[in-house]
Amino acid sequence: MTEAALAAAPLRRFQLSPIARAQWRRFRSIKRGYYSALVLAALVMVACAAELLVNSRALVVHYRGNTYFPTYGAFIPGRTFGLDYDYETNYRDLAKTFATANSGDWVVLPLVPYGQYETDLREHVYPPYPPSSADRHYLGTDTTGRDMVARLLYGFRIAIAFSAFLLVCNYVIGVAIGCAMGFWGGAFDLLFQRVIEVWSNVPYLYVIMIIASIMVPSFWTLAAVMVLFNWMNMTWYLRTSTYKEKARDYVLAAQALGASSGRIIARHILPNTISVLVTFLPFSIAGGITALTALDYLGFGLRPPTPSWGELLDEGTARLESPWIVTSVVAAMVVVLLAVTYVGEAIREAFDPKKFTYYE
Amino acid sequence: MRGPLRAVVAVLIALDLSACDNGIGESTANGAASAPEREPPAEPIRPSSLPADLPSNLTWQTNDTDPVFTSQNAKRGGILRLWMESFPLTLRRIGPDANGGFAAVTRYIQMPLVVFHPITRRPMPALADKWAFGDDGRSIYFHIDAAARWSDGVRVTADDFVFTLDLMRSKEIVEPWYNNQYTHEIIDIKKYDDLTIGVEAVSGKPPDEMLENYQPSVYAKHFFTISKNFNRDYNWKIEPSTGAYRISEVRKGKYVELARLNDWWANDHRYYKNRFNPDVIHIKVIRDVNTALRYFLRGELDSFFAVRPPIWWDKAKGKDFDDGYIDRYWFYTQGVQSPAGMFLNLDDPLLANRDVRLGIAYSMNLDKVIITVLRGDYDRLQTFNDGFGDYDDTSIRARPFDIDKADAHFAAAGFATRGDDGILTRGNERLSVHVVYGNDASTEGLVVLKEEAQKAGLELVLELKDGAASFKQVQEKKYQIGWLAWAGQGLAPTYWEFWDSVNAHKPQTNNIVNMDDPEMDRLIDRYQASTSKVERVELAHEMEEKIFDSGAFIPSFKVPYTREIAWHWMKLPDPIGTPQTEALFFPLELANGLFSAGGVFWIDVADKQATRDARARGEPYPPVSIKDDRYRE
Repeated sequence: MTEAALAAAPLRRFQLSPIARAQWRRFRSIKRGYYSALVLAALVMVACAAELLVNSRALVVHYRGNTYFPTYGAFIPGRTFGLDYDYETNYRDLAKTFATANSGDWVVLPLVPYGQYETDLREHVYPPYPPSSADRHYLGTDTTGRDMVARLLYGFRIAIAFSAFLLVCNYVIGVAIGCAMGFWGGAFDLLFQRVIEVWSNVPYLYVIMIIASIMVPSFWTLAAVMVLFNWMNMTWYLRTSTYKEKARDYVLAAQALGASSGRIIARHILPNTISVLVTFLPFSIAGGITALTALDYLGFGLRPPTPSWGELLDEGTARLESPWIVTSVVAAMVVVLLAVTYVGEAIREAFDPKKFTYYE
Repeated sequence: MRGPLRAVVAVLIALDLSACDNGIGESTANGAASAPEREPPAEPIRPSSLPADLPSNLTWQTNDTDPVFTSQNAKRGGILRLWMESFPLTLRRIGPDANGGFAAVTRYIQMPLVVFHPITRRPMPALADKWAFGDDGRSIYFHIDAAARWSDGVRVTADDFVFTLDLMRSKEIVEPWYNNQYTHEIIDIKKYDDLTIGVEAVSGKPPDEMLENYQPSVYAKHFFTISKNFNRDYNWKIEPSTGAYRISEVRKGKYVELARLNDWWANDHRYYKNRFNPDVIHIKVIRDVNTALRYFLRGELDSFFAVRPPIWWDKAKGKDFDDGYIDRYWFYTQGVQSPAGMFLNLDDPLLANRDVRLGIAYSMNLDKVIITVLRGDYDRLQTFNDGFGDYDDTSIRARPFDIDKADAHFAAAGFATRGDDGILTRGNERLSVHVVYGNDASTEGLVVLKEEAQKAGLELVLELKDGAASFKQVQEKKYQIGWLAWAGQGLAPTYWEFWDSVNAHKPQTNNIVNMDDPEMDRLIDRYQASTSKVERVELAHEMEEKIFDSGAFIPSFKVPYTREIAWHWMKLPDPIGTPQTEALFFPLELANGLFSAGGVFWIDVADKQATRDARARGEPYPPVSIKDDRYRE
């Protein structure tokens, strides 16, 4: 980025700068990365709206002239729909009941009418059930009779949320400390360099294993431990680029105008180092997903029965005679991780100041 | 040592030992340097009344007439390869952490004084070649087999038993259970000559139960020194053993190896001939049952438990089975059932409420787990103790899944309204309990229970931990609900260690539910004191009723059989097992601490090579799949 572009930036903060627009054009022109980004965005959107697509709760129930939307909000006991129980309605059965009664009541079920925790058990047939469109288990079930699509999708949502949380925390801490190190330099820099060197030599996997043997980690404790041991990665890059930017004339100019350190870092230096951050972004996301999957696979991750790819991978490899489990989860992982990698490559190309590219 | 050494569904194996935990062991150190500082040992509840001299009118008994259940064809040799899920926290038989799964090894490489015949159920000689009962009805005299040796060659003498009494009473071992057993149950152990001891018990019992309950175990006097660092000093020391095997090699975290004593003193003993055939037993840590199964299928383990339905029905099939290289055995037994299920910590603020406990019991759809996940192979366990004949109270039926009753109990406890997620609430408190368990194989069933419990408005939070860690948590009483199984054993059920208030509210005891009920204590005392079987049976029924009423234990499953798969070279006698066989391929004498049924199989080393060659050539054998229900009840 040039100084001219930067000078213009504060005035038109909510418009993309010409350079950003050039980068975006460039990104779009790298087809593989662009389409991967679309796929990923679509997956994340599907995951966010998972309840509407894969859920044991119906989308709409029409009963005696009333219309219910059970998807979100409080559970609706079976008695509401004339059934003889107080717990959550089984909407698949309800749909069948309505169909046979033929009284004008109806139920609209989601595409996959199974919940993430729901075990579909029958007598004399034992899970895992193979894929079947008649049962609407499109990818079959796992060994407990839980729908694979549901487990995969909700597992993905947790993984991506975990990853995003990790990313934000790591970047906030990493960027803050990295910038400070680069900007102030001297003793502060020296001190933190040593701290980071020491800290990054603590094998975090062991720490997690120890923690898992004392307590069963929850989403937040796991994330906290991961942040604790992963924030260092970004500091080095930010430290270097801050050092570089700090020596530029515009920083000197800002200082001469009396700008505070905070302002200089936030307003002047940070925007110029953004390309470093953006480049690492997709890989950090992928890293977060694989880390959680690996921990779950090893049994140190989230407690059962939380849906998780790692757990499915574990189950699938233990049950190779039911190949749909391992195939589905491996395919899902390959798609997501490839897409992330392609996006990452494309971003790197788009942000490459040398404008050199392997593509096109 | 779940998988391999114990059949049970069980999550954790622990003791119940009443009978036999005997002997001691070998090897390295003999650590008496300076005079050890000792706390005064526990005092017996009353002074000894054993006669100064051995009574002359004793009727010595032995048993050399019962049928032999081994095979003449058995051959010594070979390496038996087993696995365990986690490495033991100690090699000690006593003290903290000694009560885990590895106790199956540390205890059972030691011989008891007297064991029981697995077919006739009569006592038979082991470390003692004869025994007699005193006139007072509560003392037993044992004559130690003159041939008996520790694995380091030292003779087993009466001094070892006298030392054992001292050790078991010492505070240094941090074992309230043993401290109590050897002060309140065993009043004295007296040496009459090098090979004769007298044991005085607190009260009389029917003769067989006397032998079962009051025979002391034995620890090698020449090996142990009691000091305040006892548990630390002996944590990894290998004590000498009296059985056919000694621990020969320990690689921490990796494996434990046992070696057969070639010149074992009981080699020609009537009931020990042709037994304990493998030269070496190699027990490897394999952290996961499925990985272990793959080791087995590759031929790197010799036998494998297939009690669990998915293993038997889904995995124990394929070319190696069809071609007869791996044999399938399903053998029904009449053994004591493990008290398996949910243990509810009565000290927990939520579970202190009996209505909550009963509500939870009615919310557990165990029958659904049985007919789906377990494929109908298992049965519902009805009571805490099961498989003790007359002692069983068959009038008690475990609480079935019943949402209406659960609702009523939860409502009585104040949990009357359901939150948005369908879970009952009391003010701001949700009806949510943590279930700690130590075996991933249980997850499938627990997930179903969790789903079903939700219908009753109860949330189960599942906490899967490493086997040893989960058991420790339960024994430290820092849990809400523990899903586990004790190893059931004995001629008569024991209640004291699990239900007496003496063991409540303190760590490292087996009263994990913290039962603290004076009425129960009174019944236990009477039960322990009674010599009449009729009265004991009546009291047992009463206590079983109390346990049922308390709702502190929710029985899960019982498994009236053992099911194993083994490579062709693993050979069994005919018939392949006894009514008390817990595991066909259990290599040590006792699997359950009482009946001497183990170690009758052998490895045919020549056949091992032949089978491997045939398999390499693709030359099939006739497939073997045995379902033997001669002992099915």
